[in-house]
Amino acid sequence: MVAGIMSAGVLTGAAGLGVGISSAAGTSAVAARTISLSETGHLHRTSSSGLKLNEQGSASGTIKGTIYIHLNVVSPNRVTAEVNIYPSGGSLTGSGSANYSVNGGTASFSGKLSIKRGTGSYAHAHGSGLNFSGTIRRLSGAVTVRLSGSMST
Amino acid sequence: MSKLFSRIGAATAALAATAALLVCWWLPTSAGAAQTVTLHTSFSPDKLGASTTIGFSFHIASTTNEMSAPLTSVSLSLPPGINYVKTTLGLAICQPAALLAKGLSGCSPNSRLGAGNAFVELPFGKESGYEIPDIQALMGPPHNGNIVVLFYAEGRKPVSAQLVFQGELLTGSEVLGGSLNTAVPLIPSVPNGPPVSIVSVQATIGPSHLTYYTHAHGRRVAFHPQGVSVPLSCPRGGFPFSASFTFLDGSSAVAKSVVPCPRRRR
Repeated sequence: MVAGIMSAGVLTGAAGLGVGISSAAGTSAVAARTISLSETGHLHRTSSSGLKLNEQGSASGTIKGTIYIHLNVVSPNRVTAEVNIYPSGGSLTGSGSANYSVNGGTASFSGKLSIKRGTGSYAHAHGSGLNFSGTIRRLSGAVTVRLSGSMST
Repeated sequence: MSKLFSRIGAATAALAATAALLVCWWLPTSAGAAQTVTLHTSFSPDKLGASTTIGFSFHIASTTNEMSAPLTSVSLSLPPGINYVKTTLGLAICQPAALLAKGLSGCSPNSRLGAGNAFVELPFGKESGYEIPDIQALMGPPHNGNIVVLFYAEGRKPVSAQLVFQGELLTGSEVLGGSLNTAVPLIPSVPNGPPVSIVSVQATIGPSHLTYYTHAHGRRVAFHPQGVSVPLSCPRGGFPFSASFTFLDGSSAVAKSVVPCPRRRR
């Protein structure tokens, strides 16, 4: 756990400078870079269970790929979310929470999301404080989601 | 906090104002009186995890022989675990101004949430009371992100009042449940008369008896909306509801009710 936090700190610093660094062991170099994300996803409901809504669709923007969102409506005005994006060559996983409100035929949410981990080309991905918002068409379950902010890889 | 943003239709505004002025005359007659309230609640159907219609009713009685004081607010607390996620109740928003101007025809059928009736007492006359036969609950514009329920009541003679008032669904924790807080307006009785007292209310919130409409392939299609869902598990003793009431004379009362756990299938 401690090692993980230290590693994240090194990567964050590298991302800010936009340069490659060497690991402490000096055996490999990591080229960290910052990506400015601006994603839009269009999803449809695949299933629901209890307070959870499971959505699948496609993301477009900085990164393109299949996107999955698991929304957990923890209260009438609060939702938590896990987001998985599968671009070519890897994957990204993030989680966050948002305010949630119902307005007639649509429900909307708006909050923050953190990129927790990745695989493949995005194995070192992380980021926090990303803007995360969207709307849910209550009758059909269709979701439009927007994600923006900076992520380091 | 729930907020009363629209009280009485234009046609009866003068009655309301008159009634409000006469409250000062009326209040001393109830000095020392207090109210007791009984609450009944139900899930229909009462099945774990199923879409349901919530029924609630309350009856107000005075602890003396006098008429009970007019009701000014009701806060109905719902049991934890009620699931709002998949409900399709309230797919349209009803604007209070349109409701006041045109009645129910001013709002989409898809904004209806439920219905009920009330029984009121007049502070004069020989009759024991009158029914307000039709109270409609509709989805109002959200307030601070909270769900708002509009209540529309149209009384006829002798209680000639068209009322729109609102309740706001508040949640105090991360556990679903919440409370529907409603400010109840003074209901004018007749010109130069004090407000009536609500004796009882029966209402439902849920898909029972509701028909919504959507468009599919260019055709208007009717459907029954999905209600809120009964919690997935039932606590020992049943699903607890409670309601707190305040009255114009400054008194308050609390009532509790439990919906029994569904019977287990054998």
